[in-house]
Amino acid sequence: MIKFLSSLRLFFAVTLALGAVLIYQTLFNRGAPVYGTPWFAALGVLAAANIAACALGRARTASARFLLLHTGLVVIILGAFLTRFYRFEAELPLRAGETTDTAYAGTAAYKLPFSVTLEDFSLEYYAEPLGRITVETDGSREVFDAKEGTVIEVPGLAPIKVLRAVRDFGLTAGNKVIEKSPYWHNPAVQLELKSGGKTRKLWFFSNFPAMHAQTLPFGVFYAVEQAEIKNFTSAVALKTAAGRELKAKISVNRPFKVDGYTLYQTSYDPAEAGYSLLTATLDRGAWVVYAGFAMLLMGVLLWLRK
Amino acid sequence: MAAQIILFNASFGLCLAALACWSAAYVFRKPRLAAAAVWALGLAWLALSAGLAVLWAKLGRAPLSNQYESMLALLWFVFPIAFYFHRAAGRTEIMPAAALAASLLFGAAALLDKTAHPLMPALRSDWLIVHVLSSMAAYAAFALAAAAAGWALAKRQAEAADEFLLRLTKTGFAFLTLGIITGSVWADTAWGAWWSWDPKETWSLITWLAYAAALHLRKNGVRGFKFAAILPACFALVLFTYFGVNFLLSGMHSYG
Repeated sequence: MIKFLSSLRLFFAVTLALGAVLIYQTLFNRGAPVYGTPWFAALGVLAAANIAACALGRARTASARFLLLHTGLVVIILGAFLTRFYRFEAELPLRAGETTDTAYAGTAAYKLPFSVTLEDFSLEYYAEPLGRITVETDGSREVFDAKEGTVIEVPGLAPIKVLRAVRDFGLTAGNKVIEKSPYWHNPAVQLELKSGGKTRKLWFFSNFPAMHAQTLPFGVFYAVEQAEIKNFTSAVALKTAAGRELKAKISVNRPFKVDGYTLYQTSYDPAEAGYSLLTATLDRGAWVVYAGFAMLLMGVLLWLRK
Repeated sequence: MAAQIILFNASFGLCLAALACWSAAYVFRKPRLAAAAVWALGLAWLALSAGLAVLWAKLGRAPLSNQYESMLALLWFVFPIAFYFHRAAGRTEIMPAAALAASLLFGAAALLDKTAHPLMPALRSDWLIVHVLSSMAAYAAFALAAAAAGWALAKRQAEAADEFLLRLTKTGFAFLTLGIITGSVWADTAWGAWWSWDPKETWSLITWLAYAAALHLRKNGVRGFKFAAILPACFALVLFTYFGVNFLLSGMHSYG
C-alpha cells in the first residue's frame, strides 16, 4: 500500500487527472465548478498522500532540498483544506455615520465580535477629471472646456453659454439641481443656447449623450476625461468585544486586521456617495499555506543550486 | 515617435540583424559573422533596457501593468538568461535561439495595445513588481528552453543538449514557483483570498504541474530526444496561460 502510495506512477496519474480536470473546468464546464465537489477534494487528498508517502519513505536518506520541497507541498495542500473547511468570508455593507456588527454571506447574517462605524468614504482620482463639451455642426467639430461662465463661440451658431457644471447631478424635492455627491458619477452641464429663434436652457449628461439629439439642429455632447480612479478608502472606527477602540483607513491593497479577522475594501456604489462595501474574512489556513510556501521556496532554491 | 518606441524598434532591428548574421555565418561558413551577431544581441539588450527606463520614467511607475508592458519585461529577461547560459554552460546555440525568441516576441508585442493607463486600484501595490517580474523571468526561461530544444531536435543533438535543457527548465520552474507564490500572497492582500481559482491561477497551476511532471520524467530516465520533445509541448501551456487565458477566458487577471 505504502509502496503504491509513494509510487511515481501514482504521481503521474494524479498530475494527469488534475491537469485534465482543470482544463475541462476552465474551457468546457458551464455548470457548477468542480472545485467544490467531493471527488476534487479526494484528488487533493490523493496528491498530498502521494507526496507525503514519497517524502516519508525517503526521509532518512533524502537531501534537505527534497524534503523541504515535498513537505512544503503537503503543508500547502493541508492549509488549502483548512481554508476550504474553516475560512469565513462575509460582506459588510456600510453607510457613512452608521455602525454595524452584522456581516452577510448570501442570505445568512453573522454577528462579528466587533462593530464597525463608517466615518468617511472617499474616492481618489489620478487627476481632477475634466468636463468637455463637443459642438458638432455640418462642417465642423469643436471641443471646449466646460467652465461655468464661459461663452462658446462656434461659427454659424449663436454663442452658447455654460451656466453650470455639476459632478453628480441630483434633484431636490423642489426640482432644484444639487451636487448629489462629491464624485463624478453623473456629470452634467447646463447650457444656454439658441435654436429655432428661441433661447433655451438645457442640461447635457455625459452618461446620456443622445439627449436632445432629436430636438437640436446641431450636436452638443458632454463628456468627462481622465476620470480614472486611483483608490477608494473607508475611514472606520472599530470597537472590539473586549472594549478596545481602534481607528483605521481601509483601502484596496491595504486591508486591516482585527481580532483575527481581515477587513478588505471591496466596493462602493457609484450612485450613493456615502456607501462602502467591506469584506471580512477569517482564514487560519492561510498561515499554514504560507508556512508551506516558505518551505517550498527554500527547497526550490536549494534544488536550483545543486 | 516616442523615444521608447524608437529604442524598442532599434532593439527589434538588432535582433533581426543578429539572426541574419547567424544565417549568413552558417551559409557562408564565416565564424566572424557569428561573433558580430552576439554583439548585435548585446546592443539589442541595451536598447531595450534604455527603452524600458524611458518608459518607466514617463509613466512614473514600473511598466508592468498590461500585456504589452509585461511582454517587454519578458523580452528583457530573454537576454541575460541567454548570455548566462552562453558563458557559464558554453552553449553557443542558445544565442541564435534567444535572437529567434526575442524577434518573435517583439513581433507579437507590436500587435498589442500600447496605450498606457494609470494603475487601477487593485494593481497599486509593490507586489506587482515582484509577481510580474518572476512570472516573466519564468516565461523567458521556458521560451529559451523550448527554442533551444527545437534547435537541438532539428540538428539531432538532443543528447548533447540534455543537461543544458534541464538547467534552463529548472530556472524557469523556480521562477514560476516564485511567481505563483508571490501572486498568491498578493491576492490575499488585494482580493482577500490566497487562491480563487481565477483562470490565470488555474492555468499557471496546470503549467507548473506539467513542468513538474517533465522534471520527474527526466529524473527517471526520460532524456535526450524525448525530454527535448516534451519542452515545446509544455511551452504551449505557458503560451496559453499568458495569452489564451486573456483572450478566451474571463477572470480577475483581465489586465494582462
